[in-house]
Amino acid sequence: MAAKLSLSGPSDSDTSSPSDQSVSGRSVNRSLRIAEKERRKNEAEDPFVLALKYFSDVEPGTPVNGNDQLERNLVCVEKVAYSKGLHPEAISIMLEFAMSLRMGSSPCVRVLKCLIPSSVVPQEAVVRAVVWLGIGKIPISTQVLFIKWVLTVFDMIDAKDQLRAIYGFIFSFVTEENLCPFICHLLYLLTRKESGNFACIVFQGRQPFLMHLLSLYKVFCPELVTLSIPSPMKNAFRNHNSPWKSALLAVQKRNGSQVSSSSLSLTAKDKTNSRKRKHCHLEVPALNSAVNKQAQTDSCSSRKVVPLVQIHSFAQLLENMHRIELPAQMGSLLGSSLTLQFLDCVQDESALLRLNSWLGYALHEEFLFCNDAGSFQNSEEALQFLEKLLSTLHFRQEGFSSIEVFLYKFLNAWDGSLLRPQILGLMSNIPVVTSSQIGQFLFEPLMQLFFTSSLFFKCGLMECLNNMLLKWLTWHSVVFLSFCSVLYPRNITLSGFKDSVMELVHFVGRLATVGLQLEGCHSLLLSFILDFYETVCDMFLKYGLPLVVMPPPGVFYPALFAADPVSVDRLAYIMYRYKVNLTSAKRQEKLKEQAFHISRQTFHEFNHYVVVMVNCLWNSKMFHQGMGVQLGEEVLLKSNVPQYSNSFDLIHHPAFLSYAVDFHQKVRAQVHSKPWRWYLEYLFTQGYDGLKQFVQSNISWQPIAGDGGSDDLATQQR
Amino acid sequence: MEQKQTSVVKTPRNSDGAQRSSYRQSYRSYVGAVSRLGLTSALTARRLNTSRRAPRAHNITDKVSPEHLAVLVKKEWQLSYVTPLFQFRHTQLKRYSQQLSAFIAAERQGVAVEVEEPQHSFKASFSVVHGMAEAEEDAETILIQVHSKHHFSRRDDPEKCVWSGWLACINGSPEYIRSLPKDFICLPLFGSSGGDPLTSSVKSWFQQTFDCCFGSLEINHTSLQWLGSLWTNCQPESNIQHLKMIWAVPVVPPLQITYTVNPQDAWELWTCVRKDAQVEKEGEEEEEEEEEGIIDIEEVNMFMQELKSHFYRHFKLDLSAGNLVQVSTALGSAKTSGRIKISNSRYMISTLTLLTECALLKMPV
Repeated sequence: MAAKLSLSGPSDSDTSSPSDQSVSGRSVNRSLRIAEKERRKNEAEDPFVLALKYFSDVEPGTPVNGNDQLERNLVCVEKVAYSKGLHPEAISIMLEFAMSLRMGSSPCVRVLKCLIPSSVVPQEAVVRAVVWLGIGKIPISTQVLFIKWVLTVFDMIDAKDQLRAIYGFIFSFVTEENLCPFICHLLYLLTRKESGNFACIVFQGRQPFLMHLLSLYKVFCPELVTLSIPSPMKNAFRNHNSPWKSALLAVQKRNGSQVSSSSLSLTAKDKTNSRKRKHCHLEVPALNSAVNKQAQTDSCSSRKVVPLVQIHSFAQLLENMHRIELPAQMGSLLGSSLTLQFLDCVQDESALLRLNSWLGYALHEEFLFCNDAGSFQNSEEALQFLEKLLSTLHFRQEGFSSIEVFLYKFLNAWDGSLLRPQILGLMSNIPVVTSSQIGQFLFEPLMQLFFTSSLFFKCGLMECLNNMLLKWLTWHSVVFLSFCSVLYPRNITLSGFKDSVMELVHFVGRLATVGLQLEGCHSLLLSFILDFYETVCDMFLKYGLPLVVMPPPGVFYPALFAADPVSVDRLAYIMYRYKVNLTSAKRQEKLKEQAFHISRQTFHEFNHYVVVMVNCLWNSKMFHQGMGVQLGEEVLLKSNVPQYSNSFDLIHHPAFLSYAVDFHQKVRAQVHSKPWRWYLEYLFTQGYDGLKQFVQSNISWQPIAGDGGSDDLATQQR
Repeated sequence: MEQKQTSVVKTPRNSDGAQRSSYRQSYRSYVGAVSRLGLTSALTARRLNTSRRAPRAHNITDKVSPEHLAVLVKKEWQLSYVTPLFQFRHTQLKRYSQQLSAFIAAERQGVAVEVEEPQHSFKASFSVVHGMAEAEEDAETILIQVHSKHHFSRRDDPEKCVWSGWLACINGSPEYIRSLPKDFICLPLFGSSGGDPLTSSVKSWFQQTFDCCFGSLEINHTSLQWLGSLWTNCQPESNIQHLKMIWAVPVVPPLQITYTVNPQDAWELWTCVRKDAQVEKEGEEEEEEEEEGIIDIEEVNMFMQELKSHFYRHFKLDLSAGNLVQVSTALGSAKTSGRIKISNSRYMISTLTLLTECALLKMPV
């Protein structure tokens, strides 16, 4: 019946309006007036408007049972509510009707359930309703429903200032046992700094919702609330939006408005893995503001400080950077990415020591002091902790001294397999160690581990040492480029730094030599070793470190005779870069008198290697006098290899033999006068750029005009 | 040369001055972070002292008040090590007492409470034990006691002490203490006696208030041997009554051997070991006069070796296979689990010196 009535409304207005169109302004005015009148008339007849009027005017004490009028109007309101939502005024009227209990409590629940706002909820209405909550005799279940409704539409309330003004009034409902969880949630949403002093009121009980509210008070007034809150706070407030959720979403969807109801999902972190543990050294402490403040305020009481807990965004962090107060426990800075950003700015030595103490304590207790047998059972937690630590280090681009101290001790106890990637990751962050200490702290334990561990450990260690060297060199280049004064960590001088780098490179050379022997020149290990030398050969040009160290023969020859072409190609690239670095160093040496001096020994080694490479790959003079590899004539004859001297040139080299065969098959049909040259061109098109650069820089060889090439050679002699 | 240097100072005329300073700042923080690493070698190479002064009967009763001594002596303490306390003030003890009381009440009853409220069922009190500190760098010992008020007790009933603990640093390594920034107080040794819940409450209050960490402190084999020898050395001045050692032998089922030595026998063996060592020393160096009271680790090892071989002669059982887990005399007792009891205050200082050293060995930074 109500539906029929509402449908008849619009058709009336359509018939009357087009009567006087397209006349003067006056008549337009008139037409507007008429339209207005019509609209009013329609509204007056609109059953929804009538229904609202009924609910606002109904006399208190009107009977409910058998009241058809009430039923009709309520159905009308419900219909509108579930289809389009109620406009603010309607919300006010209906809420007032329900909470004032003008017709008793029975229609109250029904009305509350259909209070679906179309846009916003007027604050006054909510405030009035809260007042009714205090006066009326509303059944407790209805009161709960009302608060649930407020929580659901909280973000749609147009303003919150008046609600905050009656904070104390709302607070008084906390004593109501059934209402308490919901009131706590509401208070949680309303709490601002000034409301913190409500914490003085003594609470009983340890329910999660209370704790949650208290934890908020603690943020604002740490000195008033003494309470230990379990750090992985579970989501204490449940969602109470179930009676309205689907209707609200439908209405919002229909209206196209996306009023976010973010209060429906709380921001508190919900940690699922709150397993019980006996030892919890690895748990990052919760971020709390310092309680122990009075002692330090003597000096800086005039400055207003902002506790870090109250900062929630990067913008806020930037704004308050100069007056942020350090938290009670520095370890808590590792807990979130926002605080990590702040950590980057902490210059205070005491603060860093506090952080280092905690970090060192956690690492020592977990990995070194492990009192209970089988403490590594919780390696999942250890893994997560180390991963977090690694990402922190990565973010900070700096190490922590406590990690370093821990590692020096731990390396002596480590089996090389427990959490290997993480431990190696931590190790690669160790800053420059003086050359006098590096042997004792790093090399001795690492050597033992290296020679007794698997191939994968060896590869991992090579990668780790490469990363370590890269980080040292990056530090050097930052210092070198930015203020030229020679200041390295731990007051190491430039020459001290050079010594350390040299020690490291020589150490890796020794490891690599023996490692390749032990593992039968495994190509995976060789690849990691060549990675390292790719860093080493460019130290001068890329990082400005005046130091050139050549690889030992134990690395050079296995790479040169490797069975895979990639290794040979990389070796060729490394030799090419060595040459570029050495040439540029030599040039600088001539330019500046006080420039560094590269020893003749280094040049000699380099030249020797180049001669060997060229003779071997190019000239087919493998076993000639003066070469690195010498074998007796009779031994070579015994091997029954015909033409042994060219068995490692670019055609016969085991790494390239398949290319030679392939090339031969491709060009068999065509007759070529200069097959060697075409073969080289072919090799270079296969992506062997290192080889190409090596050949181009060391052999005077014209790709097109040259003839045969094989006797046209000139190594760059110094 | 001089001119060159001034020209270097003038160089920053290009626009990247700001960038430079930021580099420098971040660089400074780096240097700051590692500046303490001068200690690295000391940290990783730290070992228990190999020689220490023989305990002398301290007239500690003159320096320390008898009430405090009465609390410290005759209780068994569970030991922990504590990292340096940040912004701990010996002058703020009253405030700490209030805060700790409130904290315990909050933890106990699950309530948030006002700090100033006087009506807590647990009352914590902090006090300084004057006269314990030995070296100049040592911070004064702190005593913490928690008293409980019963709900039904009358107003004038005496409060019952339900928990007590102390923080001490006796003859702590001066290099380590001096290396700390001045905001830190080093009290590395923590002893507690009382219920576990209260212990953990006190610990977490300290952690949150002074940003420190607590870890358990075991008394290892070597330290126990030291204690046995040091106590035996006191025999002539104060009767140790017995030297009792408990050895755990790793067999199935686990075997515990209690080995009790007559005090006079122990003393005679000890003097023999001492004499031998002294003679040997004098052979090496002439001027040994002033080092009369110094005991060396070798003497301790020899003493223990003799005790073990005596045991072997009688029972054909080599105790070297086992571990010393407990040592006790009339002066005190120590267990490997980190429990210690000091029965005679006269020799308390040398015991605490050893334990402070053990605690400092555990420091992570």
